[in-house]
Amino acid sequence: MSDVVVRCSGVTRTYQDNAVPVVALQGVDFVVKRGEFVSLAGPSGSGKTTLLNLIGGLDRPDSGTVEVDGVTLNDLSESELSDLRLHQMGFVFQSYNLIPVLSAQENVEFIMQLQGVAADERRERASSLLKDLGLASMAGRRPGELSGGQQQRAAVARAIVTNPVLLLADEPSANLDSGTTQELLELLRTLNERQGVTIITATHDPMVMGYSKRQVNLRDGEIVEDNSSRAA
Amino acid sequence: MSEAVAELPAQASSWSGFRSAQIGWRNLWRNKRRTWLTSGGIAFAILLVMFSMAMQHGQYAAMMENATTLISGHVQVQATQYIDSERFEHTIDEASVLRRQLLALPDVVAIAPRVEAFALVSSDERSFAAQILGIDVAAEAATVRLLDMIDDGRVPAGPDEAVIGEKLARNLDVAVGGELVILGAQKHGGVAALVVNVVGIISSGMPDLDRSLLLMPIAAVQNAFGLGDEVHTLAIRIASLEDSAAVTKQLASRVPADITVRNWNEVLPGLEQAIEVDRLGGLIMYGLIIILVTFSVVNTFIMLVFERTREFGMLLAIGMRPFGIVGLVLWEAFFVWLVGAAIGAGIAIAIILGLADVGLYMGEAMEAMAAQYYMPPRLYPAFTTEVLLVSPLILLLGTQLAALIPALRIRRLRPVEALRSE
Ligand SMILES: Nc1ncnc2c1ncn2[C@@H]1O[C@H](COP(=O)(O)OP(=O)(O)O)[C@@H](O)[C@H]1O
Ligand SMILES: [Mg+2]
Repeated sequence: MSDVVVRCSGVTRTYQDNAVPVVALQGVDFVVKRGEFVSLAGPSGSGKTTLLNLIGGLDRPDSGTVEVDGVTLNDLSESELSDLRLHQMGFVFQSYNLIPVLSAQENVEFIMQLQGVAADERRERASSLLKDLGLASMAGRRPGELSGGQQQRAAVARAIVTNPVLLLADEPSANLDSGTTQELLELLRTLNERQGVTIITATHDPMVMGYSKRQVNLRDGEIVEDNSSRAA
Repeated sequence: MSEAVAELPAQASSWSGFRSAQIGWRNLWRNKRRTWLTSGGIAFAILLVMFSMAMQHGQYAAMMENATTLISGHVQVQATQYIDSERFEHTIDEASVLRRQLLALPDVVAIAPRVEAFALVSSDERSFAAQILGIDVAAEAATVRLLDMIDDGRVPAGPDEAVIGEKLARNLDVAVGGELVILGAQKHGGVAALVVNVVGIISSGMPDLDRSLLLMPIAAVQNAFGLGDEVHTLAIRIASLEDSAAVTKQLASRVPADITVRNWNEVLPGLEQAIEVDRLGGLIMYGLIIILVTFSVVNTFIMLVFERTREFGMLLAIGMRPFGIVGLVLWEAFFVWLVGAAIGAGIAIAIILGLADVGLYMGEAMEAMAAQYYMPPRLYPAFTTEVLLVSPLILLLGTQLAALIPALRIRRLRPVEALRSE
């Protein structure tokens, strides 16, 4: 098993939908090794979300290749990408992470149900994970009955319950206050250090950058700085 | 390495419909007001269509029963040639034997034998053409309501007694107690001559009958017109009009080859046409109601799919297949229908059952008209499987289509764009 989980080579992405094409990424080379906790930093509009989406198989590059765990995503069909996201990726977005009519427990079970995990095992795994994440007493509540921080924790639970190769988090703290942000980041760090979950976040929150072991700065669709020093 | 992905378990097979249905049901209550409005529309359409259909079916049943038991009977037996040519000589032979045989059948309640002749009827001063109908009074009374329409005098009893139409009586200037001479042609060319006393006047409200009908005991007519044990028509009453087609078939297999058995819709083609025209009018109205409601459902689901774009984007992003999401929307549409159908059909069934015994009074104007056509003044809704199933099932199809049209947009939804939308 290779040590490299993500390899982006010469990746470009230009959005053509508007009158003026927007170049979001121009020739990005980027490698992430297993067990890393990387934050993509940079000002708004620098291409962080675009890069994260390409790595997550949510979008396709115009040129260059994206490999995840040895699979070249460029070669996959839409439904293969969909299955890859279901089985290999864990996503945490800024908001709207959870199905509003399902409880935290049901949301976590839901993704396993998509995977075809048996009912008993689903219940077991969801309960114990929510307990580990300090949400045991909230398991029966729906997202609307949870605080912002609890919602993001439940989203993390939903993202990692499938044991994904990669956990991708796009501005996970954007709607949280600093105390709650810190709790979430502690959780991510614990997952990374104790369970070896590979994490890539996109953020312009300095606090998030501080928790990651490696910070990659983007500007105008290019990597301008890669601080791998803390990876060692 | 891309085979690694291909080997992953397929989502469709593992995706259980139960969680889908559960999410669909809970989604229903995210916008309660909209759900109640949409389900209310469906309920209203089902209530309206079910009730109108039940009334319509009740009305048709009453029309058919009343029309057929007025004169024609449910089923008629005649010589095939008589049906084609209406010529006097084409009679049913050994009619009393055939009548007895047919009466023995379980579904047959009564059979009225009839002889039908044209003749000149004269009073002291005037002469008019008349339709002579020779009848068996007891059998006639057991089969149809013709004799109930005698509103002056009584039924003809003896061989020289007659009942005549009210307009014919006026034309001839005779009343009950008057005397008439009948002159006609016998089967084999001789002259048929009779002198009769008028014992009753019949007024049916039907101009043709009132202008030309003359009723007499059948034996006297057979005698005078040179007929043996012969009749032109056996008018039959059966146990239930609903079975008339089957009974007609059964009777047809029991009569000689030159005799034809006709169901009421062949004897009274106008009645069936009138019902068909009315039914078509009803269908057009129901169609419009259902289309209108379906459009409101389309509208609801366009809004719903639009509002949940981000949520659908998230579901696509985490690896749910587009058709799984379409399935969620279709479940929701199913429950919108279920709530509406349960309410609409529930109320409709309660009203229909409530009116089944007492009927619905149609108002004075309708009563006068109904009386003229020997219809009951009250209409009773009829419960048939058609009434029960047609509107709910069509609306089920309608709501599924109405939800599917906007839901199919989900197939073209790109998760990245959906997640960006506000
Ligand atoms: N779907 C899209 N259509 C058009 N332009 C887009 C789209 N997504 C992103 N962009 C543009 O691409 C650039 C990079 O966006 P993004 O990757 O979201 O940056 P970041 O996440 O760093 O803020 C921005 O200029 C943004 O406006
Ligand atoms: Mg972004």
